[in-house]
Amino acid sequence: MGSAMMEKPQKTQEEQQSSTQMAAPDGGWGWVVVGSLFVSSALVFGLIRCLGVFFVEFVQYFGESAQAVSWITSIGLAMQQLMSPIGTAASNVYGTRPVVMMGGFLSGLGFILASQATSLLHLYLTMGFISGLGWALVFTPTVASVMQYFTMRRSLAIGLGFTGVGLASFAFSPLFQYLVEVYAWRGALLVLGGLSFNMIACGALIRPLGKPKVVLKTENLTKLNKCSSLLSRIFECFELSLLSHRGFLTYAVAITFFNAGYFIPYIHLVAHSRHIGFTEYQAAFVISVTGVADIVGRVASGWFSDLGKIRMPHMLVVWTGLLGLSLMLIPVAVVYSGLIVISVVYGFCAGAMTPLAFAVLPEIVGIGRVLGALGLLQLIESVGGLLGAPLSGWLKDCTGSYTVSFIAAGSFLVLGMLVTMSLPYFWSCTAPPLPSPSKRKSQDGSIEDGLLKQTLSLNSVPENLCPLDDTPYLDKELEK
Amino acid sequence: SEYLLLLTQAKELPAQARRLCKINDGSLHAQLLEDLHLSETTPSPQSDPVITTRKVVSKGQNQVTIEELAILKPQTIELSCYLTDIPNNPPYLTGYWTKDGKGIVNSEETVNRTNEQYILKKTFDILAKDLGNYSCIFKEIQTQVTFVLDVPVIKDKRDKPIVSYTGDSVVLACKLKQTPNTWNWYKANNTEKGLINVTANPLNYKIFIHGNETKLTVLNLTEEDSGKYICSAEFDIKPSESYIELKVLSYIEPLKPFIAIVLEVIVLVTLIFLWEKCNKPQNDNISAGENELCSEQISKLTRDDSNGVENNTARQRKLEH
Repeated sequence: MGSAMMEKPQKTQEEQQSSTQMAAPDGGWGWVVVGSLFVSSALVFGLIRCLGVFFVEFVQYFGESAQAVSWITSIGLAMQQLMSPIGTAASNVYGTRPVVMMGGFLSGLGFILASQATSLLHLYLTMGFISGLGWALVFTPTVASVMQYFTMRRSLAIGLGFTGVGLASFAFSPLFQYLVEVYAWRGALLVLGGLSFNMIACGALIRPLGKPKVVLKTENLTKLNKCSSLLSRIFECFELSLLSHRGFLTYAVAITFFNAGYFIPYIHLVAHSRHIGFTEYQAAFVISVTGVADIVGRVASGWFSDLGKIRMPHMLVVWTGLLGLSLMLIPVAVVYSGLIVISVVYGFCAGAMTPLAFAVLPEIVGIGRVLGALGLLQLIESVGGLLGAPLSGWLKDCTGSYTVSFIAAGSFLVLGMLVTMSLPYFWSCTAPPLPSPSKRKSQDGSIEDGLLKQTLSLNSVPENLCPLDDTPYLDKELEK
Repeated sequence: SEYLLLLTQAKELPAQARRLCKINDGSLHAQLLEDLHLSETTPSPQSDPVITTRKVVSKGQNQVTIEELAILKPQTIELSCYLTDIPNNPPYLTGYWTKDGKGIVNSEETVNRTNEQYILKKTFDILAKDLGNYSCIFKEIQTQVTFVLDVPVIKDKRDKPIVSYTGDSVVLACKLKQTPNTWNWYKANNTEKGLINVTANPLNYKIFIHGNETKLTVLNLTEEDSGKYICSAEFDIKPSESYIELKVLSYIEPLKPFIAIVLEVIVLVTLIFLWEKCNKPQNDNISAGENELCSEQISKLTRDDSNGVENNTARQRKLEH
């Protein structure tokens, strides 16, 4: 922060203001924010993963089909992704902290209202819409904040933060089961609402590093009339200029493909294991092993990519390629030990991909625009998620086994990998050109050269100096 | 001879004619005709003509096999034990039957070997009191086959009670593979069973019966509705029962952990904000608090860095209006 202060007199007033706020502490309070991300991702995606316990109760109480009940999660997840740009836009205006706190409140409120539901529609509206909106307001800005706080150890920080999802899945399953047994689903939802309120505390922990970006800009634009400043504000808030950014669009397409293939094994692995003849416990063990490999992969990949030996886009390509391959090999494993090995590889690669998918974003769009980029990316990649699962289900119904859907998932990932290779500056082994205000690409500095990166991170100013935008969000909510 | 001729003629007459003869002629003739009629028909057996048979094949010695039979109505059943693959192939074996562990008198039989098989059969008349475990036991080779004769058992019982709340409604369900004559629901109060009558209490109970499953809906729950509910599947021979336990809670129960967690969140958030404000003087420009108590001067100095929500929104408002 001190060196950032020194740069003040050399820059324009706007840059001045933002540079003082922009320098990432890379440690210190940053780790507290990582902890906040840990708890938030646990309470958002870990919670979503364990909602299956409630669905059995809903089916029995409301007399609806399992498919009708599963719409609750679908709506919640869709809201979380579609409303992400609103979350990031609000963060651009008001700062991350109040947005995350409001999001935590909304998530809890949704569940509390859901405990009073008398029909499935009420559940759609409360657990789906309200909580989904709350999750959108919590998750993306929190990831953005972590990215803001770290430059050197960004991937590791994000990887560590996301381990919350895996660990929460382990802890929440028996907890939810117990809550439902003691309090029935109404009481359990009420308690869950209270638990979700903890995200308000997580939001409180995110100390802002600077003023929100839009506030900075409006401070300098007092002369323009209200109309155009409102439009330009919306434009700035949502970072719509990214839609003409070739690197961003390429990456968005790649992420959409990743999303289409990524979740399929989560949905189908158990069914596939049972289908080829393993018992319930064997199938559950496969999932557990995959989950553990996932957690290890996140941390390991985050730590390794921060070492700077290989450029982040290259690492991303490696992991997604391996992931695609392992997905296509899953149907080949007919022996139990073979399935375990392939599942471990799949889990590790899936986890390894997660922090990278987020951390590579600043390199593409610049740390200044990362907040808006994350929001837009989430919105665009939701298409992949919404298409992927039903497509694989349909393929299974058509062909009678999961082989084709796994191969399709793997090919989506390979396709995404190929698209990633067409990113600007992908094929250069050296660091991308030094950032200048006009260029909008790869500003965070390459990771190959540790030294270079350090100087770059201190001196380079992303075109839009926006402290809040620094957080790279990878729309991967691989937590799902 | 005249009498005899009359008899033979009577035999060939159709049934109606015989009856006419019976009325118009002398009673003696009528009597004879009746006796003839009776002696011509073959006597039907006293028991139900349909006998169910169940056969179990047991291979080798030292085997214990268990077979479950669902009995819906009183019937005669023939149980057979077929033994094969007996080492040394003795020429005969001794077998006997037991019911519920106690030997049945006079059931011991010598079974001769026929085509490498030993067959032991016995017919039982089963009424409600006769339901139980019937075993055929072969002494020499310690082989036993047990037939469990019982009404169909209602499976998938929840060992945990069903929980619900006052004012809410709950659905209790029972299901069987076979369809009983009807279903009945009882509420158990200590040792007594009270039949649940929907017509007497239409506001509180609804019973839905559809073949092999039944659902009892209890509306407007109160705490007195807690307890054991028994669903009874009525069969000809005996009813089959299963119980479900219901627990009705008041809304205060889950509120306790909820309020505890909310309090914890409030305490955490307050602590976080307080700590931040009081640490402000030590941090140069990083985090901002607006509390004048802690850092008046620093907030003036760090106009750029102030990150307090209120400051931002306040400035925004200032700029725009």
